[in-house]
Amino acid sequence: MKGRATKVMESQIEARMPVTDATTLDVSDIQATVLRPRPRPYKGEYVILRIDDVAQGREMLRRILPHVAPADEWWRPSLPGWLGIAFTYQGLKALGVPQSSLDSFPEEFREGMAARAAILNDVGKNSPANWEYPFGTADMHVALAIYSKDDSSLETILERARQSHHDLPEISVVYRLKFSELPEGRNPFGFKDGLHNPHVEGSGAPVHPGYGRAIKAGEFILGYPDVLGETATSPEPELLRRNGTFVAFRKCHTRVAEFRKYLREQASSPEEEELIAAKMVGRWRSGAPLVLAPEQDDPKLGADADRNNRFSYADDLQGLKCPFSSHIRRVNPRDALKNDLVATDLHYFLRRGTNYGPPLPEGVLEDDGADRGGVFLLIGAHLKRQFEFIQSQWVTDGNFISHGREQDPIIGNANDGGTYTIPKRPIRRRLHGLPQFVAVRGGEYFFMPGLRALGWLANLDS
Amino acid sequence: MVTTEKAVKRPGAKAGQSNEFTLITPLKPGGAERMRKLLADGFTGDRQKNTDRIATVHDLRFVIFDNDTRVIFASTYDGDWDSYMDDFATIIPDELDLLFHECEGYPGARNPNFKEWLVQNQVEALAFYSAYPDASVRSVWKALKTKQALDGLLDAAN
Repeated sequence: MKGRATKVMESQIEARMPVTDATTLDVSDIQATVLRPRPRPYKGEYVILRIDDVAQGREMLRRILPHVAPADEWWRPSLPGWLGIAFTYQGLKALGVPQSSLDSFPEEFREGMAARAAILNDVGKNSPANWEYPFGTADMHVALAIYSKDDSSLETILERARQSHHDLPEISVVYRLKFSELPEGRNPFGFKDGLHNPHVEGSGAPVHPGYGRAIKAGEFILGYPDVLGETATSPEPELLRRNGTFVAFRKCHTRVAEFRKYLREQASSPEEEELIAAKMVGRWRSGAPLVLAPEQDDPKLGADADRNNRFSYADDLQGLKCPFSSHIRRVNPRDALKNDLVATDLHYFLRRGTNYGPPLPEGVLEDDGADRGGVFLLIGAHLKRQFEFIQSQWVTDGNFISHGREQDPIIGNANDGGTYTIPKRPIRRRLHGLPQFVAVRGGEYFFMPGLRALGWLANLDS
Repeated sequence: MVTTEKAVKRPGAKAGQSNEFTLITPLKPGGAERMRKLLADGFTGDRQKNTDRIATVHDLRFVIFDNDTRVIFASTYDGDWDSYMDDFATIIPDELDLLFHECEGYPGARNPNFKEWLVQNQVEALAFYSAYPDASVRSVWKALKTKQALDGLLDAAN
């Protein structure tokens, strides 16, 4: 079964990008969502379906399969939009996947994200008990992720998705979330985002400047050797796992007014507000990294894709430019932990997240009640030592950087009582009473199969 | 929904963020003698330095018993051993192998079953006491450094 997506002929190739990585992966069998960067600007929607009848579930899958986009030429911005599809453990069960196969999936996937709350620090306000329906329930079966360049491409793909199940009464839409890029590619807090992703070895090129060395494909896609030299042996059968991967999906509401108010309280000038905000993130709003622009924002640097991610922490071992505890240094420490017993290569994922909701207008310090935030869509072959490790250790713990129990200042969950340490000479500055700026509203683990595996799932009865 | 306990629970008792880790395994024939030779100098020199790098281990000891047929490995450490074990096995597999390779059935740190082997041979303490359950190795080191600096300051002001 070969997946096919509408392609627009476009000769636009980013010529300045050197092609340095030969394609050794079966990109025609890997879903586009795994490797494709978001369109710029992007629009899209996440749709979650529930399957109450095996036969209808498979019929829906057979119909939608030709529209699932493969990752061919993923680096060319040539698709007006694409559809990705992924399944929860409950979803695979609802499709009648044999028990022996279900049992072969890793424990964390079988249990689902809500059951991992204690590990993930999804407690207090972030507890699954407070999540939106259908997160944390057994009603989430199939997730569709549609990324597109504009409204009309989005509508076209949504219509195809609808056609796949509109006359199947046992398939229901249980959740929809529209998303779109905020002005200048910022996140709701006002920071340019999506600036870093690891480069998957053998994915064909081009290597983005600053993405660092290529990381073994088996870290991100099943069927290839990973950093440990191992090739995944689960899930079974091989046909199901080959070119598939796992997705950690998290809907995170951002409390932008709280963020702005907190900065106002801690600073004595607008410049200081910006500095504190940048110290928490590790980058200025423009995207310029603190390591390269320690004193003030450098919008030119922030806008320069060849330079804005080209840095290491080798010249900032004291954290005087970019604090140890800043968001980007925690979640992607680059070379910062090289003197510790940390094998950083074991802890990467591909980030295909998006922002949703309207921006909070500049200068507004009161919450307007709108739901705005980010969806984390983190892709990797090893949920446990990638997403779960980063969330439980580098986001939630401070001990690995000798910061006791301090958490990530932006996405941590310290129950409104967080601290934040900014190294400084002669003495460091420590902020107290950090409110929770990001509230988890739901999350789940999905399996995103390759295209042949989708065919296998759709035709289990034949 | 599945309960979290099953997923999270690894053997080992907890006090604050401190955990005890007790492993009891049979030794290979002649293993006791070889271990005594290997560890004759204890954790000094490079072995001390390498163990320091882990930075979450408060203490550890090997005790051979039962007429040289079995060994107890006991330790107190910070946080989840599970989380960083892949990292240790990747960066210092040879050091881990040196410590455990006389244990019966030890698969080697590079073996995917390494963590499973540890869990299978782990015995949870009946009771576990820590005088400073919330202080990690790193925070103790930091506090000692701070105290030393402060003492220096106070001495200079004398």
